[in-house]
This record gives sequence, C-alpha cells and structure tokens, in this order.
Amino acid sequence: MSNASVGPVYDSIIQDVISAVRVDFEESGVDDGVLEDLKKRWQMKLSQLNVAQFPWDPKPEPQQSTPAPAAAQPAPAPVPNYNQAVSAQAAPPPLSLPNSHAQNPNGVAVKQEPGLVKAEPGIKQEPGSGSAGSAPIHPAYNPAAAARGTAAQRAAQALENQYGQRAAASINAIHNGMASQINPPPQAQQGQRPGQAPQHLSPQQQYRQGVVMQQRMQPQVPNAGAPNGLPAAQVDGPSDVVDHGLLQDADGSGPAGMNRHEIDNHLHALIAARAKQMEGGGLMLPLEQATSQRSLPAKKRMAAATAQFDGPDDDIKDEDLDEDAINSDLDDPDEDQEEDEDEDETMGHMMLCMYDKVQRVKNKWKCVLKDGVLTVNGKEYVFHKATGEYEW
Amino acid sequence: MAASSTNFYDLYRHGSLGLSLTDALDELIGDERIDPQLAMKVLTQFDRIIAETLQEKVKARLTFKGSLDTYRFCDEVWTFLIRNVTFKLDNGGQMIQADKVKIVSCSSKRTDEK
Repeated sequence: MSNASVGPVYDSIIQDVISAVRVDFEESGVDDGVLEDLKKRWQMKLSQLNVAQFPWDPKPEPQQSTPAPAAAQPAPAPVPNYNQAVSAQAAPPPLSLPNSHAQNPNGVAVKQEPGLVKAEPGIKQEPGSGSAGSAPIHPAYNPAAAARGTAAQRAAQALENQYGQRAAASINAIHNGMASQINPPPQAQQGQRPGQAPQHLSPQQQYRQGVVMQQRMQPQVPNAGAPNGLPAAQVDGPSDVVDHGLLQDADGSGPAGMNRHEIDNHLHALIAARAKQMEGGGLMLPLEQATSQRSLPAKKRMAAATAQFDGPDDDIKDEDLDEDAINSDLDDPDEDQEEDEDEDETMGHMMLCMYDKVQRVKNKWKCVLKDGVLTVNGKEYVFHKATGEYEW
Repeated sequence: MAASSTNFYDLYRHGSLGLSLTDALDELIGDERIDPQLAMKVLTQFDRIIAETLQEKVKARLTFKGSLDTYRFCDEVWTFLIRNVTFKLDNGGQMIQADKVKIVSCSSKRTDEK
C-alpha cells in the first residue's frame, strides 16, 4: 500500500459518484454543467488538501466561472433590497398622477438591473478573502450610478415632452417634483425642488430615499444625502442597524426585506436563546423530551448550514449543546474536556474504517480493520485490511 | 435501491474525500444551483460508492502498533485514540510514525448482512 494508490482510487470514486448522481440531477432538472462544476470543485478542494497526488492534478484545470464564494455575497445583497423598498415606497404616490409617471419607477428598477448584473462578475473574481466584503463596493456601485444617470436623463427627456404637452405650470411643477423623488435625479434637479418633495412624501419616505441615494451615489456626491441632514455616503456598504429598522417598519416586508446578515444574526439569537432556555430547564424534562430536544439543535444547525453560506454558526459551541444532554453521574467533565482537546489535536491523524474483530486480553488489544482511509502526517492512505496491536 | 443505499455508513464523509465533496455541495447550495435534497442524494451515493470501492479495488494491507490511550464502543462504533503509532505498509516495508491517531471504526457486519 502506498500513498500513490490513493489518487486513482479517489479518482474512480469521484467518477462513479458523478455518474451515479447524474440521474438524480436530471430528475431534479439541474443542468449537466452544474454536475461538471461539482466535480471540478470536488477535485479542486481535494487537491488543495494536498493529501496525495491526484490524476487530475497535472493537467491545468479550466477555470469555470466560479460564482462568488459565500463570504463575498452579502455585499451586493442590500442593493436589491433597497430597490424593492424604493419601488414599494415609490409606487403609492403616483396613484393620483397620470399613468406616464407611474411607469417611471418601473423604468428605474429595470434600468438599474444592468448595473447590478455587471456588479456580480466583479465580485465573482474576488478570491473570497475577508477583504472581499468592502473591496467590491466601488465596482458594484459605479455601474449602478452610470445606469441611473441614463435613467435620469430619460426621465428628464420624458418630462420635457410633457412640459410641451401640458399647459398648467403648477401641475408640471408637481410632476417634476414627483419625478425628482421617484427617479434619483441629477443633483441640480433635486436642488431646485427641495421644497416640493415634502408635499408628496412623508419625511420618513424622504429619509429612506436619502438613504437609498447615499448607498447608490459615489462618495464624491455627498449632497444627495445632505438635504436630509444625513451623513455623507458610506463607502463600506449600508449600515446594518439602519437597514433593520427601516425595512421592518417600511411595509411589513419583514424577513423578505432583511438581508442575509440579519437573518444570520436573527437565527443565531434564536438558537442561543433556546440553548440558554435548555440550560435552566433541561434537567427537569422527561427523558424522551430531553433527548428529542437534544437532537433539535443538531437539526437546526443542519438547516442553518444550508441556509447560510459561511457554514454552520461557529458560535454555537458543542459545550452549550452538551449541557442539554442527559448527564450521567459517571461523566467526568474534566475527562470530557481532555478528550475534546485530544480529538481536536488529532483531527489531522485519523483512520476511518470498518472493523472485523476487536479483541482484548487484559490490557492488550488486537483488532482487524478493513476498508479504511488513513490520514496521517498530511498524507492519505487507503487499505483493504489492517491489523493493529496496542496496549492500554 | 433506496433501501440499500441507506445501509452504508456515512463515516467516510469525515475523510478528506467526503469533506471536499460536502464543501463543494455547500457552495452549490449557497449559490442556489442545487437544492439540499439533491446534495443529500449525492452524499448517499458517495457513502455507497466509497464503501464499495474500498472493498473491491483496494488490496493494500497494513499493520500498526502503538499504545492505546482511549477506547470507546458506542452504538457499534469503536473509537480508539492511539499514541505513538507506527504504521507498517505491507509492500516495501515503509514505516509511518505518528504521535497519535484517532480511529473511528464501524462494524463491517452491518453492510454484509444486507
């Protein structure tokens, strides 16, 4: 047995698994390319572990467009949220206005999409490091600003047409004021109509508009936020605290409006609260309930793992969960702790296998193991059969 | 088929091959390109295939010696923590030393019965 045999064996396993699940992928209506991507990622991650030489290693791997790593994704998320918030907020006022204006919000939303779409590849190229969160903001917002600029121009043109068509200057003024609220306008336009706005939008709405603009605008355009007395545009993305309050009382959109980060926090808080609750009440519960409750957090963690992108919450420590367990008098906490340490340290040295026989005579153990994978000293070995002798 | 595929252990998921697969699946789920149920199916297939492959294609043998630090037998799973282990590979007599190794081992009977 040697480390060299690991590569072909693993390769064959990967091939077999991929071809075995192809049917499942088809049945789920998932594109074949995704399956290929899965295989590529699998091989790539395995290569990164560097446990053996793999057959696919020498040949250069064609870099498929790897969608953004989990860590980088939360950054662009707030923008769509705000779009929704804006269109939701902007929609009601035009009810009393001609239809031509009611279409404007849609125009804005559609116009901004190219910017958003553009923004994604910019983030995709990020290696997914910690800095990804702040770095992509600029590329992300630049196209959006450009797109909005054209949208504003078009809106202005449309307004000009309407000025020609409509005689009443006051109505025009109102329209114009409305439009300047609905379409994030060039600064000059907003400067002309600061007084008109409050007539149509409540201060809260206006505030929201201001926040939205702050996030969209470049830092070089601070006056967008200035009329509302808000701080200048943020470079490091929207303030989460403000988001939360805004979106919650916006239109009851609640969780749909929350961004991923908030959902994570919310989930975490819930789980932590549950763990705390169990700490106090766990001892008094019937055995069945205690055990079923014990398994709940595990399931929850699985659900959370699929829902969030940065893996299961690390903050929920096993110790917390262990306190919920049925603790026997025989348990020695010190021993447990020591063992945990041992296990942590041995993570790199592990053998996963089946056992045929485990025998003990006094303190001498003998075991026959088979079908195993052994990871030791950073290398991996596979074996069909292993015999071990050790003393306790 | 569905019944038989559940008869394989998922312990190999904790090895490098399984971990890299779960990582890859997690990413795809994160990107909403596959749903978690499909990922579970993949892992179930993986459990079966890695067990079969190790059984059929691998012929290597090894022996090891060491001092047993901790042993545990729970739910038909043996867990050993062995210190100062020496692994001896059958061909070429290559020796591998390790301070400690954790062995997680499931009964081979269960898969054979079914």
